[in-house]
Amino acid sequence: MLNNSLTLENISKRFASRPGSTSQLQVLDNIQLNIAPGEFISIVGASGCGKSTLLRLILGLDEEYDGRILLDGKPIDGTGLERGIVFQDHRLFPWLNVEQNVAVALKNSPLSAKEKRDTVREHIELVGLQDFIDAYPHQISGGMAQRVAIARGLVNRPSVLLLDEPLGALDALTRARLQGELQNIWAKEKITMILVTHDVDEAVFLGDRVVVMQPNPGRIRRILDIDLPRPRNRSDSRFIALRDDVLSDFAELH
Amino acid sequence: MARAQTVAPEQYVPALPKGNVQRLPPAPTRPVRKVEVPRTWAWSSQLGDRALPWLLPLAVLGLWFLGVEQGWLSEQVLPPPAYVYETLSDLFASGDLWINAAASLQRVVVGFALGASIGVVLGLAMGLSKTIEDYLLPTFNAIVQIPVLAWLPFALLLFGIGEPLKYVLIAKAALVPITLCTLQAFHQAPKGLLEAGRAYGFSRWQSVIFIVLPAAVPTLFTGLRLGFTKAWLSLVVVELVASSEGLGYLIVYGRQLFQLDLVMAAVVVVGGIGLLIDRGFDYAERRLNRGRTPAAGRLS
Ligand SMILES: Nc1ncnc2c1ncn2[C@@H]1O[C@H](COP(=O)(O)OP(=O)(O)OP(=O)(O)O)[C@@H](O)[C@H]1O
Ligand SMILES: [Mg+2]
Repeated sequence: MLNNSLTLENISKRFASRPGSTSQLQVLDNIQLNIAPGEFISIVGASGCGKSTLLRLILGLDEEYDGRILLDGKPIDGTGLERGIVFQDHRLFPWLNVEQNVAVALKNSPLSAKEKRDTVREHIELVGLQDFIDAYPHQISGGMAQRVAIARGLVNRPSVLLLDEPLGALDALTRARLQGELQNIWAKEKITMILVTHDVDEAVFLGDRVVVMQPNPGRIRRILDIDLPRPRNRSDSRFIALRDDVLSDFAELH
Repeated sequence: MARAQTVAPEQYVPALPKGNVQRLPPAPTRPVRKVEVPRTWAWSSQLGDRALPWLLPLAVLGLWFLGVEQGWLSEQVLPPPAYVYETLSDLFASGDLWINAAASLQRVVVGFALGASIGVVLGLAMGLSKTIEDYLLPTFNAIVQIPVLAWLPFALLLFGIGEPLKYVLIAKAALVPITLCTLQAFHQAPKGLLEAGRAYGFSRWQSVIFIVLPAAVPTLFTGLRLGFTKAWLSLVVVELVASSEGLGYLIVYGRQLFQLDLVMAAVVVVGGIGLLIDRGFDYAERRLNRGRTPAAGRLS
């Protein structure tokens, strides 16, 4: 059993609004969240309310914040292979092809060369890009680049996976399929997933809980338990009720 | 090892549930429909593109012919092209051309190699350590403002008039752009990718080798090419001042005897060799960059 519980204790984050200036922009204000091992958390909230910033802190890229982030009860110290991410902006290496881009995540993995090659291939197949293994990032579409990024995020099998709008650029059909895949992998691997999305339907479909954030400063407005059996049915009346509930939060915010 | 999942490699289970995974259908491959381009049109435009770089040199050559024909300048000042060509073939036949070109090439190769290695090391050191950069860069920037010729009297005293003098001055010329471009490469390292590297547990060296340097290839090549151009230019200057062989020496010699055909011939050779080597760098860069296109485009 993996022990990958994540605790966010009073997280606050400020940015200097301009380099060198003393006035500060408060981006996160007192975020409190206990995430159980293997839980699926969806985060929704207006653009600019600090969702990506929060993921950066959890990943360990930015260590200047107030509060504590605990993984299995221990404060995180920088980045670690047990925490993976799919960045909002893909971040593919322009000089590497699709296969090499996915393999980058395994540079420091203990797997043998053959195991690496096999698992890279499998994950590329998972996102349906087997015919584009040799293509370079400038030769593929935005949605395909996003799928490469998803494959790269999954390939390392982190025990906590952070997903920053990973399906935003995809067509409805591909998106629905990849949502299903994410759910399968989550269920099979018992990994903790934190998914940031602008798609309320997606948030309710995948999350055990949906965290609604509100901006200026970014804080948690509400946390909804999604107590529906999986796989969920989007036309189920309870599903629709929960989704409308989250949507109404948005309507009030704007 | 910061890996929470302590799965021993031999117990490796594939991440994906085998069999019951509904895989995405393959993404559509490239469209196969080809657009027919009228043949003759494609041909002539291709020919036009190839001819473009030659238009200007040919025009200059034409002007040269015309000038000599019309007697705009006296033959002593502007020798006719045919005469220069004759001188060039004589130089070639007698072996003088080879002796002088070889002397110059040896100087530039040694000096450039010396300058490039020191430049890359200096640039790397400053790029890797902010402290070293803070110590060195201001002094470096001050020293590089001094032209080769200004160093000459001092360098003459220090190294004498022999080969080391030439190596050092050429090396110094090449070193400057190469150091600055290497340092630049570190300053321009793609931040987003460095962060991704950190997420995958890259060490400092892994970040340098797998992110900073590949991203720096175009900048490094710009440095090398600029460095070579500078080296080649200062070679001629150095040889003009102090030498008894080399292409620069041919130019001085020709000038002293007022044999402008010899000067012209030497100039043509200097330009030709410089161009060839520059093309070589260009080719090597394109080989290294094969497959990827630079993020930059060209305004069209
Ligand atoms: N490095 C930085 N320096 C200064 N301000 C920053 C920095 N990074 C983010 N911010 C600010 O923090 C706020 C939150 O940014 P963040 O990227 O976390 O938003 P987000 O919720 O992910 O938005 P979106 O949904 O559009 O991706 C924004 O107002 C942004 O301007
Ligand atoms: Mg964001």
